[in-house]
Amino acid sequence: MNDTVTYNEQELVLSLKAKDQQSFSYLYDHYAGALYSIVLQVVPDKELASDVLQEVFVNIWRKIESYDSSKGRLFTWMLNVARNLAIDMVRSKAYQNSQKNQPMPESDSFGKAGNSVQLSVDNIGLRKVINKLKTEHRVLIDLAYFKGYTHEEIAEIESLPLGTVKTRIRSALTQLREYLK
Amino acid sequence: MNIQEYISSGIVESYVLGLASNEERTEFEQLCATHAELRQAREAFEKSLEEHALDTAMPAPAGLKKQIWSELSLAGSASSPLSTEKKDGQSIPLTPVRKLSVASFLAAASIILLLGSTLLNFYFYNKYKSSIAKLDEMIASNQQFAASNNAMQTRLQQYETSLNLIKDTNMAVIAMKGQAIAPQSLTTLYWNRQTKDVYLLVNALPRAAEGKQYQLWAIVDGKPVSAGLLDIHSTEGLVKMSNVVKAQAFAITLEKQGGSQTPTVPIYVMGQIQSSLLLLFLFQMG
Repeated sequence: MNDTVTYNEQELVLSLKAKDQQSFSYLYDHYAGALYSIVLQVVPDKELASDVLQEVFVNIWRKIESYDSSKGRLFTWMLNVARNLAIDMVRSKAYQNSQKNQPMPESDSFGKAGNSVQLSVDNIGLRKVINKLKTEHRVLIDLAYFKGYTHEEIAEIESLPLGTVKTRIRSALTQLREYLK
Repeated sequence: MNIQEYISSGIVESYVLGLASNEERTEFEQLCATHAELRQAREAFEKSLEEHALDTAMPAPAGLKKQIWSELSLAGSASSPLSTEKKDGQSIPLTPVRKLSVASFLAAASIILLLGSTLLNFYFYNKYKSSIAKLDEMIASNQQFAASNNAMQTRLQQYETSLNLIKDTNMAVIAMKGQAIAPQSLTTLYWNRQTKDVYLLVNALPRAAEGKQYQLWAIVDGKPVSAGLLDIHSTEGLVKMSNVVKAQAFAITLEKQGGSQTPTVPIYVMGQIQSSLLLLFLFQMG
């Protein structure tokens, strides 16, 4: 039945803020897959990623009031909600404990840890695009975007000057824009 | 500041992907408010990001929508809009499970009702049986009362009849006193002057021997005439004897069962009619 109902961005946002359940249902049907993809790129465990995705939609429903359309599109906001919750999950003690017997998920081996539950996420979503970047760029985007480290933390981890980190990330991002066009 | 240089610096992507610092964010938002080109650049990157994300979407976990709806307590909407989750295994067992539970509840309830009803039937049947027994007892005792009441009524009627006979002003009373064989004996004879009916009251007489019966004799002009036999059994109250038109005296002898033509001695009791009484009889006959 929702196939016949379409919303433009403005209508969707207004309906969601009015707590219209049908619009929320449309939102889920339309975006759950895309958001699941981004969560999986951060949390390769399918079950945990599913838990995160549930949390993402619960947050969207409850915090839609805080979405400000002047600062960006609805999807951008949802994408950041999903990414932040996924990074929170990876940084949680429970997740760290579950991963402690496995090799550190370095960028090249990420998702190839031999755990059958974990997906190889190198070829899904943004990662596929990021893999086109030079290694020195790719590593920094992975740490910044998928692991949520600040530029200062990355500078420390990679033993690089903060300025270099900033420049390389900006450079990587402009390339990313070209790839996405 | 050259806005085009700013746009191409990577700040747009950094801002949209959430990698910008707080300072950078604030600056970017302020510039967006005043520079349409910056907003357009941001929007363009957002759209390409969204399109790419939709193009590379993974199938969402089965049943997740239902879980989310359940967690948010969104009423009723989880089932109908889920065209993508119709194969969701969780929704299928719900209905049969619920039906089964209703069915088994009803089955359990009907068994309990049946057991209860059986026990009640047994209980009521026992009560019914004891009630019937009590009713039978009451009917029997009621019949006893009725029978004894009838007997009382009969005896009362006898006494009333006797009393009325005695009260009759035409009744002459003759005391018949015990003779030598039974000096303690006494009978009273009632003789109606109008109807000539004779009644005998046995005050005291020896018990008649087996095969013997008392017989009343009227002495008419010196000759004994039978005035009837005393019923052996009904000696209570006034006993109706044969009518006697004329007599000077009455006597009772003990005769064989069924009576005799002529009396045998000895005489048990005897009474004579007083001459004045006799005159009264004669006068009325005249």
